[in-house]
Amino acid sequence: MATDTEVDLTPRLKTDEMLINMGPQHPATHGVLRLILTLDGEIVRHTEPILGHLHRAQEWQGQNRTWFQYQALIDRVDYLSGMFTSWAMARAAEVVDGCEVPERAEYLRVMVSEMNRITSHLLWLGTYLIDLGAMFGFPFYPFREREKLLELFEEIAGQRMMFNYIRIGGVMRNPKDAWLSKLKRFTEEFPDRVDEYEAIVTQNPIFLKRTKGVGILRKELGMDYGITGPSIRASGVNLDLRRTKPYSVYPKLKFDVPLNDRDGDTFDRYIFRIREMRESNEIIKQCLDMLPQGEISGKKQIAGLRVKAGEGFAAVESPRGTLGCYIISNGSDRAYRIKWRNPSFCNLSILPELLKNHPIADVMAIFGSIDVILPDVDR
Amino acid sequence: MLALSLVTRAKDSLYQICRGLKTVAMHTFREPITQVYPDKMPDTNIRGRLALAVNPETSEHLCISCRQCERVCPDKCIEITAHKSPETNKLELIEFKIDHGLCMFCGLCAEVCPTSCIINTNDFEMSEYSREALVYDLRKLTLSQEESRYYFDRKEIPLPKPKPAKAAPAAAGAAKPAAAGKPEEAKSESEAKVADAKAADAKDAKEVKQADEPEKQTAAPEEKEETENKEGSDKSKD
Repeated sequence: MATDTEVDLTPRLKTDEMLINMGPQHPATHGVLRLILTLDGEIVRHTEPILGHLHRAQEWQGQNRTWFQYQALIDRVDYLSGMFTSWAMARAAEVVDGCEVPERAEYLRVMVSEMNRITSHLLWLGTYLIDLGAMFGFPFYPFREREKLLELFEEIAGQRMMFNYIRIGGVMRNPKDAWLSKLKRFTEEFPDRVDEYEAIVTQNPIFLKRTKGVGILRKELGMDYGITGPSIRASGVNLDLRRTKPYSVYPKLKFDVPLNDRDGDTFDRYIFRIREMRESNEIIKQCLDMLPQGEISGKKQIAGLRVKAGEGFAAVESPRGTLGCYIISNGSDRAYRIKWRNPSFCNLSILPELLKNHPIADVMAIFGSIDVILPDVDR
Repeated sequence: MLALSLVTRAKDSLYQICRGLKTVAMHTFREPITQVYPDKMPDTNIRGRLALAVNPETSEHLCISCRQCERVCPDKCIEITAHKSPETNKLELIEFKIDHGLCMFCGLCAEVCPTSCIINTNDFEMSEYSREALVYDLRKLTLSQEESRYYFDRKEIPLPKPKPAKAAPAAAGAAKPAAAGKPEEAKSESEAKVADAKAADAKDAKEVKQADEPEKQTAAPEEKEETENKEGSDKSKD
């Protein structure tokens, strides 16, 4: 063993490789991620992500809180897309329980979730530009549209990010007509706003120089690592649960799932998120037109909410990829076991592969492009 | 040839940058969507500071000490002290404490409250100099009649039903000084607290014990309380 380490050390000394800690307080790591980079000059040779700084035992808490209490907590798993975590758990519980969800509730769920997808991508867009060094004000343009959506969330759910809106069996509250018309107005003007972002960013030569051909994710590699969401669609894998394994009312809606015809780079992952925002906007428009009348919850929302004994898994397509929830229930008012399949965790695993042989300036460009939320990684 | 392509590329890049800058410049003349906060208060439906509402019509305190909110609270930040009045055999609220330093504003307590007494107000300005100051007591939590009316209207909560005619005289009697205004009510409650302190101590200890027990067992006392309530109302009817 001793000789092995000696053999390992000799070339490292010769080529002047250097260990650098990036994070956990780095502003561009979107939370607290520590990367141990092995640098050869400016080139990253090896990366080791250190996780766990944000571990809050969300799965354990699910077994120690009642269903009713846990619903209020899981928005915090992925704080940028709380609707999806709620939805994944509600769907899993509905699979176990076998309760019917009213159609109006399903439409409302799709609507608020797609709104949430837009807010998540908008925040990603703003912070990604900061990661690339665009500090002059553009990062706050997407926040303007996001603010409008957050206000709508605040009105319907009571809070801007910790919604607790999607419940087991339905949704919490019926929207008022004023709310629906406000949302309609937003969907009408939103495509113009996306055009504006694209006018500033998409053809910008500096942006292109930083992103084109950087961090190419091969299709096969992505599949091996279990990458999901826009990142894998930008590499040409047709994996969108809304299409490939349709749930809720998605089969009734018309929308495109953009697919790339080559291995995607950082720029592709950017452009596919932009396209996805436009598609989400179209989905919201259709939902507004098709929204039926009726009940909003198939299960009474009481403190002693119970789910029948059994086990089941359900997944939804979150802004970051496949978000799954596995539940074992023993029929009491709390879960026997809850397990989350978080897209951020799986997507982060590709990072060492993508960073290999890239200059250190590209680290944040690549890390930002796979859109990882650290609370979602550590739970 | 190389020089030509360089020139076209430079021209193209310059055009794209100018296009972006033009969009940025256009933003200068756009109306901001943000508000100047202290000057203009946001009008929102936010789940803010918790408060206890009184009946908007009679200013009677709505809390019936059923402890549903205490039980559902994921953070265990609500603490209710109640005792059974020896005269009417009904639960009477002595103290209601909410630790806003622990509260995560999930609004579950407001959802389960059978009388819509505990509600989330729109207030979010609650900074204090110490953590102890974030623990609100009954006096600090109880809203005035006007505030209660405002929130009942705003949240579209149906007004509490008037008590059955037979029960009304009992409530208006010495047992519960309900019809009084807010400060008086608080005063009389504190008086009642002093008067009943000795009697309540023993019972409180029992209740605290019950609260500490696992939840499966606390379900039983709840039913018990309910039956006791029913008995109480039956007796008052008689």
